[in-house]
Amino acid sequence: MNKQEKVSAGQLAALLLITDVFSLFCLRGEVSLATLLGFSAGIAVQAALSLPVITAAKKELPFGKAAKVLILIYLVLCGGEIFAMLWDTSEVIYVPSESSGGLAGRFMIAGLVALVCLYASSAGLGALSKAAVIAAAVGALCVAAVTVSAFISPEWENMKNIENHRGFFGELLRASAVSGGLGSFVYLLGKSKGSKIKNATVYFTGKLITTVVVLCVTMLVAGGIMEVTDFPAVTAAQLSQPFSVQRIDSLFLVVFAVFAVFAAAVQSVSAAEILRELLPKFKYLRSTAVLALMTGAAFIFTADGRLYPYEAAAEAVILLAVPIMTLCGGEERK
Amino acid sequence: MEQHITGSLERDLSIIRNISSGSSDILINCFVTGDISCALICCEGMVSTSVMTNLVLEPITSIPAQESPQALSDYINTHLLLSTDRPTVTDFGKLFSLLYSGFAVLIIEGIDTALAFGIQGYASRGISEPSGEANIMGSHEGFVETVRTNMSMIRRRIKTPELVMELMKKGSQSNTDICLCYMRDRVPKELMQRIRKSLDGIRLETVLTTGYIRPFVESRRFELFSSTGTTERPDVLCSKLIEGRVALLVDGVPFAVVIPKLFCESFQTLDDYSFKPYYATFIRWIKYAAFIISVLLPAVYAAIVMYHPELLNSTLLMLLVESEEKAPFSIVTETAGVLLMYEVIREAGIRLPKTVGGAVSIVSGLIIGDAAVSSGLISTPLLTVTALAVISGFVVPELDPAVTVLRLAFLAAGGIFGLFGISILACAVLINICSTEDYGFPYTAPLSPFRSRGMSDTAVRTGMRNMQDRNFTVEEYRE
Repeated sequence: MNKQEKVSAGQLAALLLITDVFSLFCLRGEVSLATLLGFSAGIAVQAALSLPVITAAKKELPFGKAAKVLILIYLVLCGGEIFAMLWDTSEVIYVPSESSGGLAGRFMIAGLVALVCLYASSAGLGALSKAAVIAAAVGALCVAAVTVSAFISPEWENMKNIENHRGFFGELLRASAVSGGLGSFVYLLGKSKGSKIKNATVYFTGKLITTVVVLCVTMLVAGGIMEVTDFPAVTAAQLSQPFSVQRIDSLFLVVFAVFAVFAAAVQSVSAAEILRELLPKFKYLRSTAVLALMTGAAFIFTADGRLYPYEAAAEAVILLAVPIMTLCGGEERK
Repeated sequence: MEQHITGSLERDLSIIRNISSGSSDILINCFVTGDISCALICCEGMVSTSVMTNLVLEPITSIPAQESPQALSDYINTHLLLSTDRPTVTDFGKLFSLLYSGFAVLIIEGIDTALAFGIQGYASRGISEPSGEANIMGSHEGFVETVRTNMSMIRRRIKTPELVMELMKKGSQSNTDICLCYMRDRVPKELMQRIRKSLDGIRLETVLTTGYIRPFVESRRFELFSSTGTTERPDVLCSKLIEGRVALLVDGVPFAVVIPKLFCESFQTLDDYSFKPYYATFIRWIKYAAFIISVLLPAVYAAIVMYHPELLNSTLLMLLVESEEKAPFSIVTETAGVLLMYEVIREAGIRLPKTVGGAVSIVSGLIIGDAAVSSGLISTPLLTVTALAVISGFVVPELDPAVTVLRLAFLAAGGIFGLFGISILACAVLINICSTEDYGFPYTAPLSPFRSRGMSDTAVRTGMRNMQDRNFTVEEYRE
């Protein structure tokens, strides 16, 4: 990345929201009113925990080596989680030529996404952020179409009737698992133009709105079959029929794949850049190394949610420890 | 060729004959005027014989006796106009360059400089309607091969001293005239510096088309779409110059290069500004849709029919099943075959002599199209889809080369990986388009980075009353 490359508030929000919305698409398990409340509270907590990050970014303090290593590890894990979610969801999102469920099929999907991520890395953060704005706009249209469809014939009773097995605190922890954008947020906020407070506000506000919209639509459309569907957001998109003669699965499938690519690319581009800063002599195959690590990390994540508490803890470390380390040692480095 | 003119007429003529190896198109006329020996040299076919006779030879041979060669030279410079373009020549390199540019050169015995007179009269194509970039309501003039005529066409439309035209020569063998045009008060200074630096890096032997120069003024990075544009229309070029862009005119080529160019401009024509805003906006969106259809329709068709038939409604599905079950090849093979055959026919149509062109239409349309469908080799829906895609591509001819390749690439991606593959490739293409950025102007502006002011001439076409106070220059988009 060119040292002078900066991203605007809109581009930063697009980059991060794509990752977050992709995670929502891949959400497993029931979505209920408690989920909505838990996720909203989770976003508020994340915003509050981001204050040290914003402070450090405002002062334009450079990250120390230890902070960079922490961010790199977190980004690799986030990228791995994205690959894991993509593999999981490929059961319901049909990908031709994949040997269904087999390792070869998984690597094929990861390989295709990794190829584009490699190219995105070579193009740089500027190109990726510009492309993210366009992709986010297309995604917003898709979400809008599904939302309109949901509100044409809504089933409001779904919102009350869906059973929740996790409770509010469980949903709060689950919210941390669908916040893969936070690692990139910590790294990219300092590289954004203009007011860091405004940029962070735009991101978290957008995150809250999109989360509420996606979860509401999911409940309204797929609420009746929540207990039998593994991926309620995907099911909601597949059942949506804003026009009587045509479903919009195809549009959702396209948007899903695009969001998957951008979600992985944000992590890989940010991680590759940090690797460049940590190891300047490691010139070649940086992005390949990062993607290989992410693919390996994907095998850690399971679909049953056992890792949610650990993910929440890692998130807290990234949001608190990294900026505190930066604030403490940053003035000297500056 | 760097050798200076000696001042000895006989020696200079000998050098000229030596350098030109006795080339028969170099005409040397020796005469005496003002009691001093002179020679008038020109290149046959490059000068206007009547102008040379009436405006040069007659006056120049009627000069009264002069005291010295210098006095003769001063007399010619001060008392005889002879031509409006009268550079002084000091070396043989410049002499030959001017000779081959349609100048007549006068060498005077005893003077180590020669006088050149611009009396170009070479045969050139007259101003006619451009072959591409058709326009309904606007001018029907297009550029021609002569750079000076093109310069005059621009000057006629922008009558301000702020319009600057700098002539330079590129090509060590061809010495092709290149004209750099810009509006001094609007063009970003940094853009000019970088373009000049790019042009200084040209070390070609010949410059025969704009394609020789464009790679030097574009980024070295692989770009699907060019970040420089071309136009055959002087009115379009003037509109670009007013926006602070730079144009390059190449002698011998009826196209101008425009720097920088944005992706959205490929969908803009001057006709848009002749129609009512609502209609112009409607047509613009038709073009955007046509571009998407042109690139994606065959791939999406193949992907849905092969892998995602559940997305089709039952009527359409049955229709396609009925058509495709008789076809012996897979859908991807059929589609690729039809697309490639179209490219062959298109190329043949361009290269064939006009007299045979009609036969190509008959063979391709009736025999290949009709017979192939009747025999069951190709299904009708597939032919319809492919034809729609191809015709949609004609709406934006400037992007045709990239669209042609992308169409096939998306077909391959869709044929192998379905809609997922199309999406993956779309991401890569989108990133490539967004990475296209030369001289600090993002190719995807004003869409990304988003500029709301720019959307008034991108998403819609606002009225002239609103646009007149905008004072838009391309500098607004620079990052």
